[in-house]
Amino acid sequence: MTAKAMIQDNTRCIGCRACMVACKSWNDRPADQTTFFAAEGYQNPRDLDANNYTNITFHEITTGAKPDWVFGRQLCMHCEHPACASACPTTALTKTPLGPVVFNESRCIGCRACMQACPFIIPKYDYENPAPMIHKCTFCSDRLEVGLKPACATVCPTGAISFGDRDDMVAEAKRRIATAPGTYIPEIYGLEEVGGTSVLHLSSVPFAQIGYITGLPKTPMPDLTHRWLRVTAPAFALLYGVFGALTWIVHRRMRGQGHDGETS
Amino acid sequence: MNWRIRLTWWDKLLLALMALGAAITLVRYVGGIGSIANINDAYPWGWWVGYGIMTMIALGGVGFTITAIVEILGVHRYHPFLRPAVLMGMLCYISAIVMLMVELGRPWKVWMILVSWAPTSALFEVGWCAFLYLNVLILEFAQVPFAQLGWARALSILRTVYIPIMLLGVTLSHLHQSSLGTLLTLIPHKINDLWWSDNLPLLFLVSAMMAGPAVAILEHLAAARWLGVTLRMDLLAGLARIEAWLVGFYLAFKMGDLFYRGAADAMLSATWLALSFWVEVGFGLLLPLALLMMPEMRESRRGLATACGLVVAGVLLHRLNVAVIGLRVRHWETYTPSFGEIGVTLGITAGALFVFGWLARILPIHEEPPPHVTVHPATQPASALRGAEGVS
Repeated sequence: MTAKAMIQDNTRCIGCRACMVACKSWNDRPADQTTFFAAEGYQNPRDLDANNYTNITFHEITTGAKPDWVFGRQLCMHCEHPACASACPTTALTKTPLGPVVFNESRCIGCRACMQACPFIIPKYDYENPAPMIHKCTFCSDRLEVGLKPACATVCPTGAISFGDRDDMVAEAKRRIATAPGTYIPEIYGLEEVGGTSVLHLSSVPFAQIGYITGLPKTPMPDLTHRWLRVTAPAFALLYGVFGALTWIVHRRMRGQGHDGETS
Repeated sequence: MNWRIRLTWWDKLLLALMALGAAITLVRYVGGIGSIANINDAYPWGWWVGYGIMTMIALGGVGFTITAIVEILGVHRYHPFLRPAVLMGMLCYISAIVMLMVELGRPWKVWMILVSWAPTSALFEVGWCAFLYLNVLILEFAQVPFAQLGWARALSILRTVYIPIMLLGVTLSHLHQSSLGTLLTLIPHKINDLWWSDNLPLLFLVSAMMAGPAVAILEHLAAARWLGVTLRMDLLAGLARIEAWLVGFYLAFKMGDLFYRGAADAMLSATWLALSFWVEVGFGLLLPLALLMMPEMRESRRGLATACGLVVAGVLLHRLNVAVIGLRVRHWETYTPSFGEIGVTLGITAGALFVFGWLARILPIHEEPPPHVTVHPATQPASALRGAEGVS
């Protein structure tokens, strides 16, 4: 099994939102009441939520002489080293060999540590549910297991979504930038962000202008906590030993000074 | 033994707040977290985690701090603070667990943490350590009711295992107080430079140690005022000196860390976040440090109450700054704690205070000075309060 990846080529996106419809149908998410949103983009719904695992964002940007619509897409990036999975205390989130970061709802305790951890602010919560858990794009892991493409990749009418082995997708993204340098900015979003992701975005304008979170480190996020957590066991042994020795020395000295031998 | 007490107006007020918290919790279980809370996808933790978990655990640090001073460093002068400290620690941890029961989406599955193996998760470590430490606190404290009930055999077992258990408690506290900070080292891009640091685990640990004596002093002042406990001003002044050193050390560490990682500029920016930082440092550290360095303040009840109250408030603001206020979010996303969120925490805090006040009146929590110590007249003979070893 080779790891899969997806290219989201925003220069080919026409904002038809067929991917959002396909996603909703495959994942069986209900429709929800939304309101028009015009702060960062003009999309509706404004952001991902428990019922929307992917979202096309609309941006009015002046490229060249006149204003134009430029689209962006929100979905789980399926990090190579997912911060969400590293933060989850019950291993409800795991990275599969095929690439998806999958969510096992039977293990979720609803602590929201993954939401806090995610550098792309992807996992969402169902606040109206008395037994809430997180929701996010599954990379259609169930489809991938049987050799199918993710639902969104099957419906895109303009070829903005490509799916294949990650190595091939990286090569393809590089080829597109190299052959049409006027169309693309020379950057693959997701190639190096937080150690690499399974979704690679291409764009005609800087990613910060179309609502993407930029300025992320190139190193895997879990490294940050790992540096501390890996010393847990030695720290436990060392501290217990030091405190024990200290207690013993102090009590011995006090006995020597004629205090009674009680430990209390 | 008699478990009953006469309820005062304070008790009735606390019970009313507990009822309020319980009523709001009921709404949460019917209508979902969104029906009572303002937490959202940008601020997934909010007041419940900032206060109800992070601050509550930091204040529960009083248990291990006083235990370490008395039992490990052998400063037996402060023995009278030990039992109240262990009881407060236990109640703080129980409060945090009650908070989890409201705040977690599926609290009935919280045991999942204990049957998972997630060594990459700071929360996994927090969960295990806090669970084990709560058991330690219960074993430590159980000596008091067991002695009162005359359960000699159970008591002698607890006394035999006291030293290793006590050491385990202090060690576990170091681990999970720091791992609450580790939890937040994961999101450098989300937390403002004023608060995010590689050293958050150590900052969390040291600030919890700093909270310890402050909470112990406040408790003693409160017990002297409302529970008729003999005020030991001599001991409080000594503990206040230790507190001054701890505040000074934490302040130096915090500022040193800020300068070392080159984020000192952020202190001077004209933003609400910088203001929040200065309130935290000015009122939570500098002012109490100045007060605690004045001998006349260390020997006055009002001076001690002010200084220690400020330290505790400063720890609360630090936890909120790191986990809620200092979060970098998109400009349209906001968060203000709702009445429901605050109501639940009021109920939990009131519950902890009520149980403390109740146990302090039916069990010998507070040690009276031996007759040869000339302080204020003792209200009870000291011999009546000699119970168990260890936490005795």
